Amino acid sequence: MSVSLIDVEGVSKAYGGVQALQLCNLSVPEGSISGLIGPNGSGKTTLFNVITGYERASAGEVRFAGRAITNSTPDRVFNLGIGRTFQLTRIFARLTVLENMLVATQRSEGWLRSVLRLAGSASERGRALELLEFVGIARLASEPAGNLSYGQRKLLELASLLVADPAVLLLDEPAGGVNPTLINQLSARIRELNEAGKTFLVVEHNMEFVMALCHQVTVLSQGRTLISGTPDVVRADPGVLDAYLGDEGTEDSDDTPAPASLAAASPRVETPSAGPPSAAQPPVLTIKGVVAGYGGGDILRDVSFDVPEGGITCIVGPNGAGKSTLLATVTGLLRPRLGEIRFRGAPLTGLSPGQIVGQGISMVPQAHSLFPQMTVEENVEMGAFTIRDRALVAKRLASVQELFPIVKERAKEKAGSLSGGQQRLVEFARCLMLDPELIILDEPSMGLDPQTRGTVFETVTLMNEQGRTILLVEQNARAGLRLSTRGVVLENGTVRLTGSGHEVLEHPEIAALYLGGSVSAPSAG
Amino acid sequence: MSASAGTDSSSAAPAVPGSSAPGTGRIRLATSLFVLVVLVVAVLFPLAENSRQGTMSIAVFAVIFMVAVSAWNIFSGYSGYLALGHAVFFGVGAYTVALMAQDWHVPAGWAIMALLPVCGVVAGLVAIPVGLVALRTRRHTFVVVTIAVFFIFQTLATNLAFTGGTGGIQLPFVSWTFSVYNERFYYVALVILVATVALSWAVRRSRFGLQLMAIRDDEDRARGMGVRTGRVKLAAFVVSAIPVGMVGGLWAYFLGSVYPQSAFDPLFDIALALMGFFGGIGTIAGPLVGALVLESLQQYFTQTFSANGLYLIIYGGLFLVVILLMPRGIVPSVSHRLRSWRAQRVDRASKPAAGSDAAGVTG
Repeated sequence: MSVSLIDVEGVSKAYGGVQALQLCNLSVPEGSISGLIGPNGSGKTTLFNVITGYERASAGEVRFAGRAITNSTPDRVFNLGIGRTFQLTRIFARLTVLENMLVATQRSEGWLRSVLRLAGSASERGRALELLEFVGIARLASEPAGNLSYGQRKLLELASLLVADPAVLLLDEPAGGVNPTLINQLSARIRELNEAGKTFLVVEHNMEFVMALCHQVTVLSQGRTLISGTPDVVRADPGVLDAYLGDEGTEDSDDTPAPASLAAASPRVETPSAGPPSAAQPPVLTIKGVVAGYGGGDILRDVSFDVPEGGITCIVGPNGAGKSTLLATVTGLLRPRLGEIRFRGAPLTGLSPGQIVGQGISMVPQAHSLFPQMTVEENVEMGAFTIRDRALVAKRLASVQELFPIVKERAKEKAGSLSGGQQRLVEFARCLMLDPELIILDEPSMGLDPQTRGTVFETVTLMNEQGRTILLVEQNARAGLRLSTRGVVLENGTVRLTGSGHEVLEHPEIAALYLGGSVSAPSAG
Repeated sequence: MSASAGTDSSSAAPAVPGSSAPGTGRIRLATSLFVLVVLVVAVLFPLAENSRQGTMSIAVFAVIFMVAVSAWNIFSGYSGYLALGHAVFFGVGAYTVALMAQDWHVPAGWAIMALLPVCGVVAGLVAIPVGLVALRTRRHTFVVVTIAVFFIFQTLATNLAFTGGTGGIQLPFVSWTFSVYNERFYYVALVILVATVALSWAVRRSRFGLQLMAIRDDEDRARGMGVRTGRVKLAAFVVSAIPVGMVGGLWAYFLGSVYPQSAFDPLFDIALALMGFFGGIGTIAGPLVGALVLESLQQYFTQTFSANGLYLIIYGGLFLVVILLMPRGIVPSVSHRLRSWRAQRVDRASKPAAGSDAAGVTG
């Protein structure tokens, strides 16, 4: 356990202006099952990609068994003995299950030998079948892999790496989208392999899975290593909870939202926050009993809540809770299997995304939705693409420019040259070109530093004060809820809590939702 | 050259020694017999058709295209990289034989046939730099780059000094009598075809082929499993150029002359892809079926109704019908139907046995 098999030292990686990894450190002891966790966008997958040679680090070093492998290529990394799986399970769909097992090259043989021979000797096939039996899908050996279920694909992906007998396995969300029975089966297999000498590094959002399985856990937050230690240590660390819920906010933290009194104290003037008013005033958007998924099982199972008119409604919840899926059903990108969504009383279910935009619902998707090669002004004008009336477009553009000076100041610059925060503002400006009644924001603060985040949130409030209803999904739960009149907590495809932003924020269960198990107990005592 | 050969190639290759279906041995025997029969028919064909030289000439063209599409399929079918520039290798083969015959004063007759392997080698050598450039790209970009490379070669053939420009090059006239002329070309083409199909079969069964198909399904993941994707793709590209170069040479000799517009013909690029998709790419038999049907028909129509463009309409109509009814191509669609029919039959026949068998595998 003491020798470190994979060492990551001071690795940095930037995409354009976004710093995905900043001087990140990680060490995976030989023979361990190590976990790598962190909120969305904290750089976990990027770190995997850097280790396995899919992406180049801009600084720092990666070592495998003491040997530098920084910026190697994926095939070399694999042949050294590091196998990896992918977040969105990847298999060779048109090959049979058994053929999938025969692709991995054997570490010992040279390139020409690995090519100029029959695919799969008797012993290789025997070994492949053994491994398929180990993961429990041997009876599917001659099926095309594309016919497998999502869970079976995960098992195949794992098994197909084992053929080459790698020393370390990097698993990217092995339990994601997998049913509980299969999760248990997976844990059991990982433990067995670990006892047989394999080292694991696991990225996973399912905290119970990680905490129960791993010997040590490293937490990434905004591309930095936050802490590394045993699951108990990590769970008890207040910084980890902050990373997941969002930090307390650097500026104007505690004075504006006035947490002095209880739930009744609402920052917004127009909504007295509690139950009755939503009944008095019909909600803009009603979501009722929605069940939806992408074919691999339901992600939303019975979601119901209202979005009151004129307020800011914030949806929070751990990764994989179904937040993005919910937005996809509202905007018409995904048709719910059951349930209905109504906008001002009229059903939205069944309308195309274009028709839904026409109803006055406009969405700003998760980061990077601008056309980077077009100018800022062109990007904003694209927001009014469907409007024929040039005078109206000009008028809207003028009013948008007033609200967002940047649109005028940087009008002729390419959108790709703006910083992340500036791009967000331009995206907001673009969405206002259609003069929507309901604005949907998917993680507006993603990838932004605290100060820029403050500006973005102020702008959200500003748009709300202009009379637009806002529905937002936010990873930074604390900041999002503080700003909102209403909070909705999603977990595992259902609504766990609703209430005013503050009620939800102060709710004792919130921490447990994010970190699995009880966090409040040890830190309070 | 048949649907059942295709079935075999896609299902029996990965067959598990222990757990294969009960009928596999018989299927393999039936396939071998069928291949043998087809081969015998192909060899005896000229004896029966000797009287009609038109038919023999169609057969020569058909076999030449069967070679070209099979070879194209070794790269494009298995790797999924749609190459639309294989006319480069066809044209290079054609010019190679013409230039060699002209500059080295090779006498007409069998001596020129002996030069065909050189055409293949030259085409393979040309494929190395072309592949190195084109394979740096993927998907649509790759298709566009191969087309661009093709036009560069066509332009070169028109403008370089040694190619004879638009006037082309005449090959030595063969004094074979009319009755044996087509027949001899046919047999030479058939030999190249047998070798190419054997090559395609060997690739399909080797780890090389498996790696190509892994690249087709998910190139990045294949790299992550140790596959040296760059080398594998380039090797397949070069291997697939060689037979195309050889039949390019044969084709030039058969016609007696080469011109830039016909040796480097954009329609040839498209024909390979069309015939491949028609029969079903990624299989061994698909390209053979596709080329046999489409090239024979095209030649027949050209001979029969050459004056008007009617044949093009019939040709296009047939193509549409097949793609509508069997979007994956003839061979994969037919073999899929055969397999499910067979599975149903096996299911009905061995209902009681199936339960214990499954238990044995999982337990």
